[in-house]
Amino acid sequence: MNFGPFIFVGLFFTMSLSWLGFVLGPQLQLGSLTQTATVPGGETYPNSRPGLARKGAEIYRANGCAACHTQQVRPRELGSDLDRPLWGIRRSVAHDYVFDEPVMLGSTRIGPDLANVALRLDPNTMVHLYAPRAIEPNSVMPPYRFLFQKRKIAREPSADALKLPEKFAPEAGYEIVPTSDARALVGYLSSLRQTGIIFETPMPQPKIKQPQAAVAPAEANPGTPAPAK
Amino acid sequence: MLFLFGSAIVWLVIGTALAFIASLKFHAPGFLADSPIWTYGRVYAARTDALLYGFAIQAALGVSLWLLCRLGRTTLTDPRVCLTAAAIWNFGVMVGIGGILGGDSTGYEAFEMPRYAAPVLFVAYLVIAVCAIITFHKREERALYPSQWFILGGVFWFAWIFSTASALLLCSPVRGVLQSTISWWFAHNLETIVLGFAGLASISYFISKLLERPLHSSYLAMLGFWGLTLFGSWGGIPQGAPLPAWIISLSVVGTVMSAVPILAIMTNFCQTARKDLNALDNNAILRFSYVALIFWFIASVQKIIGALPKVSTLTDYTYFGVAQKELALFGFFAMAMFGAIYYIAPQLVGHEFPCDKSPKIHFWFTFIGVTISYLALVISGIGQGIILSDPKNPFVAALKASMLGVRVRTLGDLLILLGQLALLLNFLGLVAQGCCKAFCGKQKEVRK
Repeated sequence: MNFGPFIFVGLFFTMSLSWLGFVLGPQLQLGSLTQTATVPGGETYPNSRPGLARKGAEIYRANGCAACHTQQVRPRELGSDLDRPLWGIRRSVAHDYVFDEPVMLGSTRIGPDLANVALRLDPNTMVHLYAPRAIEPNSVMPPYRFLFQKRKIAREPSADALKLPEKFAPEAGYEIVPTSDARALVGYLSSLRQTGIIFETPMPQPKIKQPQAAVAPAEANPGTPAPAK
Repeated sequence: MLFLFGSAIVWLVIGTALAFIASLKFHAPGFLADSPIWTYGRVYAARTDALLYGFAIQAALGVSLWLLCRLGRTTLTDPRVCLTAAAIWNFGVMVGIGGILGGDSTGYEAFEMPRYAAPVLFVAYLVIAVCAIITFHKREERALYPSQWFILGGVFWFAWIFSTASALLLCSPVRGVLQSTISWWFAHNLETIVLGFAGLASISYFISKLLERPLHSSYLAMLGFWGLTLFGSWGGIPQGAPLPAWIISLSVVGTVMSAVPILAIMTNFCQTARKDLNALDNNAILRFSYVALIFWFIASVQKIIGALPKVSTLTDYTYFGVAQKELALFGFFAMAMFGAIYYIAPQLVGHEFPCDKSPKIHFWFTFIGVTISYLALVISGIGQGIILSDPKNPFVAALKASMLGVRVRTLGDLLILLGQLALLLNFLGLVAQGCCKAFCGKQKEVRK
């Protein structure tokens, strides 16, 4: 092992195996992934995000939201994700991310997973961004006050003004309104859903509520969102 | 080399300060939250990249270049070219960190520096890497020592992974979830191969040198080296990732198989150091190397255990993974580099460090900070995993349960920051005295 070029060739060979396995191989399989059709139904999935949501994705990226939030739902056998209320109806698959750039799957859940957060959003979302502790007192999420604007109330309060609890509300005569960045971010969060049933995702498990009742397969559309926990 | 060390240490202090600020935000989320520049997501990304690119790569390059010269019994080829390249690297990192804080983060973990910083960094790195190869080539001592294999591996591999990641994530982004695959592959290889090899090169040299005895077995060293290049470079993909199963399996298999070279390397070092544990009392540099080695072993074993399906079901996406990465960076790599810097810098300046107590303060503060931080995060991570595995527990229950661990971690971050400040001051003192010596001609005897 004293011959430099021999070591170099050995390094090149062993390391190219890694490159083949994790870069070229996946590229050959997934590189030309594009829209597919839902099963049954035949609707196109996924749809590219509308402009506001795409701008919101930039806000999400710029502020490093992926540092605390993941956007991937694990299959049932690898975690309890699918058993959590409104975390998703199925696991995440490669097709879900075809139009995203960058894909911010995240690696730590200091906050909940956001892959299907659109199913859990409610009118409090803006308040949650402005002052997370107004919604969840134990939250460690940073307040994104810079996405909002504090301004003097004109003749009457703005329709968009945040309804804040007293502790977080501005002084009398002032209101907090979302800027376009906040609207974009909420637009992006509202587009986060992975509910299309496609070929590679198994059908959702039927939920058995009562032993004697007839068992029906779960609906593809989970219905109206409930307040986020 | 001195410039590389100096800038590495400055970035180390900046990085650990950013880490401490990020850590504080857990206890007061409103701290510095009014400005987008200081929001947690940006500060955390800046901290990661300042530590990886500002500190780690520069320290690795500095130590690697010195080892190539010392083991090859030659001098560095073109020192001025290297110095210019190092300055350009620093400029690139500054631009990158500024970009992250300004909102241009790429969104990829461990690779957040914006697109405009990447070519600057890559060119600077390539120049230094070529200098390293040329220095290696013109060595007088033709026999190779394991440190040199590791250095060649690390230097070569970083050029490959960085160019791949830059090309496929920044220049011409690949589609969809492939971006995550490459990002995970890059981060894993950066930690395990690039920084891992630099740290192991340093430990191999200093343990052998300071105990004045060769490594126990060259065969174990070879097994360890080739095993790590082969299996250590496969890994980093989480279990539940939205990827085809074969990619995830490849990652798990690679991680688990790397147990063989890890055991080989550890056995080799343990046999080499077998009877000399009391040498630790007298030799600060040896202490750094031993501790680095033990932390490397713990971090590697934790990575293997965390890759096992039953365990990862519990620990994925918790502080468990965060703990492992921090141990690999601070506990292993940084400690290995500190030992090397304490040995090398006086030789370069021709002068001892001005303060004798400072290395002890640095060691103990870093060691205690790393240990308590690590234990707190591992325990919190497992606790989070257990709580979250029951879907009846609301998510916030896991958050509340982990807060004690997070508090301890903040304390650990503070201790680590203070330790690095001690190093910075001592190093500045050394350089200042070296400059004085150049002007005034005073000299202290250098301990060889």
